[in-house]
Amino acid sequence: MPAPQLLTGGIEMAINNLLSLDPDSPQRLLPLNGKRLQVKLHELPWPLTFAFSQRVDVLADEQQADCTIVLSIATLKKMQDISQLSYLIQQQELSLNGDMHTAQSFSNLVKDLNIDWEEQLSRYTGDVIAHQSFRTARQLHHRLTAKLQRLGDILKDVAMDEKQLAAHPLAVEDFSEQVNDLRSDVARFEARLLQLEQRPKQRKGK
Amino acid sequence: MSDPGQSQPQSDDQTHFGFKTVGKQQKATMVAEVFHSVAAKYDVMNDLMSMGIHRLWKRFTIDCSGVRPGQKVLDLAGGTGDLAAKFSRLVGKDGQVVLADINNAMLRVGRDKLRDKGILGNVDYVQANAECLPFPDNHFDLITIAFGLRNVTDKDAALASMLRVLKPGGRLLVLEFSKPEFDALSKVYDLYSFHLLPKMGKLVANDSESYQYLAESIRMHPDQETLKAMMENAGFEQVTYHNMTGGIVALHRGFKF
Ligand SMILES: C[S@@+](CC[C@H](N)C(=O)[O-])C[C@H]1O[C@@H](n2cnc3c(N)ncnc32)[C@H](O)[C@@H]1O
Repeated sequence: MPAPQLLTGGIEMAINNLLSLDPDSPQRLLPLNGKRLQVKLHELPWPLTFAFSQRVDVLADEQQADCTIVLSIATLKKMQDISQLSYLIQQQELSLNGDMHTAQSFSNLVKDLNIDWEEQLSRYTGDVIAHQSFRTARQLHHRLTAKLQRLGDILKDVAMDEKQLAAHPLAVEDFSEQVNDLRSDVARFEARLLQLEQRPKQRKGK
Repeated sequence: MSDPGQSQPQSDDQTHFGFKTVGKQQKATMVAEVFHSVAAKYDVMNDLMSMGIHRLWKRFTIDCSGVRPGQKVLDLAGGTGDLAAKFSRLVGKDGQVVLADINNAMLRVGRDKLRDKGILGNVDYVQANAECLPFPDNHFDLITIAFGLRNVTDKDAALASMLRVLKPGGRLLVLEFSKPEFDALSKVYDLYSFHLLPKMGKLVANDSESYQYLAESIRMHPDQETLKAMMENAGFEQVTYHNMTGGIVALHRGFKF
């Protein structure tokens, strides 16, 4: 089975689901239109390429991108501590080649995904359920924003402080990981919603 | 399992329609009928029949396409436009994607689907027969034909036609059912495609015959090495193939230089 495609497919779906929830995404995708950002993890035999248009396509291809970030998963882990960043770049544990703007715009895209969960939910479930579910949603939103905020900060710092090499590919990987987490969160959330949805129906049914 | 009632074409005017042997003229019409009758339920059936795996096969095809912004792509026998949608985004506004299919009903479903996805502008829809493509010489950077070639009556003519419209340096990707690499898999697969698949077709699309045809046409399609040789004969170079899901599906790649 083509494993890379399973991974890229999963990441792609998650990113785009996330983006579709934020009305500002199209705006933030604009400067990235037609650009490609490639993330090469030492541990993966193939790079991940993010191709931007009105949405994000994730490819497992070898072609040259506008911006390439190379790093290892270990570096990624170290990156959890932002203060390590300059050090890592000095140590050449990660490298960034190509167009810095692409990297910056990408960080912009993901950093403040401003998701109005309540509104989202109300579309599907009506206001009452939306209100009930909002507590769960808000927790999820908090977690997500905090993570993405950190990611955005990393990217900004790198772009500003370290002109020649920026390091935020991790960001991308990190992001993918978060997206995966998010996906399970969303699944749980969905299940909960479904329960909530069914409650009034059952009552009505009686 | 033995092949249920296979027959061989007796003359130059005859060809395969699944396991039946029919007149060459007839086959195009019969294929058209199949896809007319499956068009509306095509996407659902695709997901069902392949258990969603066709999406991964298609993703792999895209990853092998090397497509760049600004390029011209022909998605031949493109049907409901899965590949075309993705190519449209990858070639961007300066590029062009042509979704071509012999069948109007499939094209229509494809056009509606792409429109619903917000894909406009750089995709053209052309009703065309792969055997005689209505495009200029040396026109496309990339041609893909996914699960289409086995339906084409004269595959050699189709390959020659594709070579003609491909730019020098361009590549052809043929995604198609092929021959499972292991006997055991072959048996399971036969059971699946000859017994389960037509039943699923009946259940979901109320059309077991069309899906019986699909199963048969898959079995009659040239295996990996044969198709590779056919591509080389047509004039493609550096032809290679990659088996997926144990050879149930193979992606063939060839270049024009
Ligand atoms: C199984 S569908 C594949 C659709 C799409 N490429 C996909 O992968 O989902 C096969 C398509 O081939 C088309 N087709 C059959 N014979 C053809 C021919 N001679 N020229 C062009 N298209 C043809 C059919 O109309 C049908 O839409």
